[in-house]
Amino acid sequence: MHEPGDIDAIKALHCADCARSDSAALDLAPVDHMPIPTEALTGFPDGVPGMSRLDRRRFLRNGFVGFASVYAASKIPWVKAFEAAVAEGAVPNSKLVMVFLNGGNDGGNTFVPFEQAQYDAYAALRPTIKRAQGGTGPGGSTVMPGTAGRLAFANVLTANGTLGGLDTLWGPTGDFNDPASTLALFPATDYPNPNFSHFTSRDWWFAGALQQSTTGWLGRWLDMYGSNVNPLQAVSIGSNVSKMIRAAKAPVSSVPETLGGFGFNVGGAPVNTEVGSLVGAVAGNASTARSRAVYGQTVQVAQQLGGVTHTPGANYPANSSLSRRLQLAATLLSANLGTRIVTIDWGSFDTHGNQVAGQDPQLTVLAQALSAFQADLAGRGIDQQVTTVVFSEFGRRAGENLSFGTDHGAGGPLMVSGTKVRGGLGGAPAPMTSSGLVRGNLAVTTDFRTVYASLINEWLGGDAAAVLPGGTFTLTREDGAPSLFRP
Amino acid sequence: MATTLKARTHGAALRAPARRRRRIRKPPLTYADKRMTTQMVDRLWWRAGFGPSEADRKAWTGKRVGALVDWMLTTGPTLIGQPPVNNGVALAPTANDTDLVLEWLDRMVRSDNPLPERLTFFWHDHFGNSRNVVSSQMIFNQISLLRSFSTLGANATSDVRSLMQAITVDPSMLRFLTGEANVKGRPNENYARELMELFCLGVTDAQGQPNYGEDDVKELARALSGWQVNNTNPAAPFSYFTQSRWDPGVKTFLGQSGAFNATQAVDVVLSHPNHAPYLMRKLWNEFVQTPPDPGTLADLVNTYNRRGRRLRPVLRKILTHRSLFESIAEPNMIKSPIVYTAGAMRAMGMFVVNGNPRSRLQVMGQDPYFPPDVSGWEYGPAWLDTNTSISRFRLIADFTGSQPVDQTDIPGETPQQAFDRAYAATGGGWLSPDNRARILDYAARTPGGTLSQRRTRQRVLRSLMLGGPDGQVM
Repeated sequence: MHEPGDIDAIKALHCADCARSDSAALDLAPVDHMPIPTEALTGFPDGVPGMSRLDRRRFLRNGFVGFASVYAASKIPWVKAFEAAVAEGAVPNSKLVMVFLNGGNDGGNTFVPFEQAQYDAYAALRPTIKRAQGGTGPGGSTVMPGTAGRLAFANVLTANGTLGGLDTLWGPTGDFNDPASTLALFPATDYPNPNFSHFTSRDWWFAGALQQSTTGWLGRWLDMYGSNVNPLQAVSIGSNVSKMIRAAKAPVSSVPETLGGFGFNVGGAPVNTEVGSLVGAVAGNASTARSRAVYGQTVQVAQQLGGVTHTPGANYPANSSLSRRLQLAATLLSANLGTRIVTIDWGSFDTHGNQVAGQDPQLTVLAQALSAFQADLAGRGIDQQVTTVVFSEFGRRAGENLSFGTDHGAGGPLMVSGTKVRGGLGGAPAPMTSSGLVRGNLAVTTDFRTVYASLINEWLGGDAAAVLPGGTFTLTREDGAPSLFRP
Repeated sequence: MATTLKARTHGAALRAPARRRRRIRKPPLTYADKRMTTQMVDRLWWRAGFGPSEADRKAWTGKRVGALVDWMLTTGPTLIGQPPVNNGVALAPTANDTDLVLEWLDRMVRSDNPLPERLTFFWHDHFGNSRNVVSSQMIFNQISLLRSFSTLGANATSDVRSLMQAITVDPSMLRFLTGEANVKGRPNENYARELMELFCLGVTDAQGQPNYGEDDVKELARALSGWQVNNTNPAAPFSYFTQSRWDPGVKTFLGQSGAFNATQAVDVVLSHPNHAPYLMRKLWNEFVQTPPDPGTLADLVNTYNRRGRRLRPVLRKILTHRSLFESIAEPNMIKSPIVYTAGAMRAMGMFVVNGNPRSRLQVMGQDPYFPPDVSGWEYGPAWLDTNTSISRFRLIADFTGSQPVDQTDIPGETPQQAFDRAYAATGGGWLSPDNRARILDYAARTPGGTLSQRRTRQRVLRSLMLGGPDGQVM
C-alpha cells in the first residue's frame, strides 16, 4: 500500500482516526469554537476594595513610583486590579496542579497487571511491547505494595535499576492510612461510553462535562469561588490559557516556562507602565475591550511577578520542559501570589507506533519530576497545601497493533498526589482477560467527574454540584478509604 | 442534478421572479455604491487583506466600495518589493519548514491585491492539513491548489464543487485524513466524517437537528474508496485511483442511493440543504464580526446556489455589505496572528529577511501550515492572553530596531513631531483618541536629550502604536 520507508505514510496511518489530533503540546484543540467569553479575563470591576497603607507601600515597592507620579494610580484599571489582588493577600491553603499528558497515555505499560491470569492475558495481548513480570531493569515491573498483588510499577526504572519516583510517592505500604502513602491511583479513568477522538475527549475532560462548553470546570469553579481581580489565581505554564481554566468572568493567565523578563519591553527595557497606560479607555465593542483587558492583565501579572525570584528546585530530570514547568509552579505556589491553580500540558503520548521507545523515556521523566516536585514543595514548606493530578484524555487499546504501538482506547490512568492525599488504590484495575474487555478496550472503573467532585468538595472548597453538570458524582474508592484526602 | 437544473433556468424570464422576491424580502443595504472614507478603505484592506499601505489609502479614498471589491475580485496579484530571504539565503520552502512559512508570509506582505492570499488562508484553516503529518511538498502543493481556487482574477468561475472534488483526491488530504487507507472491504471513515462534519455540512443544522448519521459516514466512506498516494518521488507526489480498491456496490447516504464514486459522492454531500448555510456562515464570519441576520444569510445561500456555488458573487455580497463597515470608528474584530504579522510588515515597510516573524507566530498561536487539528485554528477572543499579548508586542518592538524601518535621528524634534513620525512609520493605523493622547503624553514626558534617548523614544512610540492593545483590532 505504501512505498517502503515512506515515513509520512506510516505516521499518518498510525494516527488513523487522529489526524485531527495535534502533535503540538498546546492544549488548543477545539471541536467547536470555544471562545473565551468577552467578559472573561476582564477582571476590572468597579468598586474593587481600597488598599491599605501597607498594601500601597508594597505596591510602590514593586516599582511603580515613576508611573504613579504621572497618573493618578487609582484611575488606572489595572492598577486598581493590582491593588485589589495584593489586598486579597492570603488565600486558602489548598492549591491544585493539573498535569495533562497530551495524546492519551497507555495505562497497561505504566501499571502492569500482576495477578497471573491478568498478566498472562496482558502478555498475550502485547507480545512485543509487554513488560516482564519482576526484574529490576528497564522492561521489567515491580509489584506495588498494598494492591494485594494486583498491579506492578513499570517504566519507573532508571538505568541503574533504582525505582524512579512513583514508588517514593506511593510509599512502602500503599495503605491509605499511612502518611507515607501519598499517591492515589485510579488505573482506568474515563467517562461512560468513551469517545476515541482526541479533541472530543480532551474538550470533555477540560470542560468537566460530557458536552462542549465555553468554560472549563476549573474556570467555572473560579467564577464561583475565585478572585475577580487576580489573574495569577490560575496560571497555565508553558502554553496558552488551558481550556480547563477558561472562565466566564474570573481573570486567569498564562506564562512561559522560563519566566525571565516576563512583560512588555522594547530592546530589553521594560515598558509595562507605558503599555499599562493604554488599557483604561472604555471600549465600545467586545473585541477592543478584550484586547485592552488582556494587555492590562499582562501588565498586572508582570508587576506581580516582578517581585518574585524564581528559585528552581533541585533533583528534577535535566533538560525537560516538564521539569521547568513544575519548578516554576513550585516558585509561584510559594510566592504568596494568590495562585490556587496551575495547569501544565506536557508530552506526546499518542503512541500508535513503537510505543516502548516513545512512552518509556517520558514516563521516566514524569515519575522523577513528580517526586522531585513533591520534595521541592516540602522544602518550601508548602507540600501540605498542594495536590497534583496527572491525567490524559483517554487510555489505549488493550492489545498492541501491528506497528508495535497501541491505538486510542478507554480508561487511562489518573494519579492524585500530595502530602494531604490518601494514597493507595483509588480505583479498580481494569481486567485484561477477554471477558473483562469491552470490544478490545479496558472497562472504565472510575468516572473522572467523581474525582473532580472530590477535588472540589474535599480540597478546593465549594459545591461540586454547582460546577459539574450531569448529576451528582460521588467517589467510591477501591481500597475502601473514606475519602481522597486526609482530614 | 442541481447543476443541470441551474443551467436550464439560466434565462431572463426566470430571473424576474427572483428579483421580485428580493424586493419583497427587502435585502440588507449594500454599500457597493458608497464612496469610501479613509476609515472604510482601511476596513476593507484589513478584512479582505492584511491592512493598507499609504499608497492603497491614497488610491482608494473617495472611490466606491464596489470598485475596490471588484478590483480585488478580478486582479492579479502581483508581488511587489524586495524578494524574501532567510538570513541572506534564498528560501527553500520544501526543504525547510521555516522557509515554507516565510514563503507564504512573503506573498501576504508583497501582494498588491491581498484577497487571494487571504482566501487561500481561509481554505487552509478550513481543511486543517498539517505539515506535522504530511510532507512539505504535499502541503505546499495543496496550498498552491487552494491558491488557484482563490485567485479569482485568473479563475473567475472558481466554485466550491470543483474545489471539494479536487481536495477529496489531493495527495496531502488523502494522507492527512487517511483516505489512502480507505479500501473496498476495509473502509476508513476518517475523510468521510470530516467531509460532512467540517468541510461541507456541520454536525447539526441551525435548529440543532443532525445533518447526518453514523450510517451516512460508513456508506459515504465506501464511495470514497480506491484512492492512493504515490510518493516515490517526494518532489512530485500524486494521487491515483485503483479500480480494484474501490467499492463498486450501491451506497445509500443522505437519502440518496447509487453506485457512487468519489466525484458523485461529493455531489451528494453538496446537495444537502445545510451545505450552503453552513459554508456561507463560515465565509461571512471570516470577514464580519457580527453573525449574518437571517435575511442576509438567506440572500447569500440563494446567491450561492443560483450562481453555481461560485465564490465571486457571494464574496462581492459580503465585502460590500454594510455590516462589514459596522463599528467603523472603533474596529471590532481581533486580528488573527497571521493577519497581524503580515499587516504589521506591510504597515512598516518590512520584507521577509529572517525567521523571526515565524518564531513570533508560533508563540502567538498560529504557525501557518501547522494548524492544531483538522478543525483549524480557534478564532476570536482566545487569540489573546497574557502570553500572546507579549509576543504580539515583541514582534513590533523587534521590527522597530531593524532595517529598513526609518532610524533617522532628529535632535530638535518636539513631542508632537516625534509622535507624528512614529505614527507615519507604523502605517497610520487605528488608535482611539484616548490612547492617542496617552501616547503623545509619553512622548512629552520622555527625555529626548541624547541620541540614545531619542532612539528609544521612537521605538517605544512605534511599539505602543502598533503593538499595543489598539493595534490588535481591525
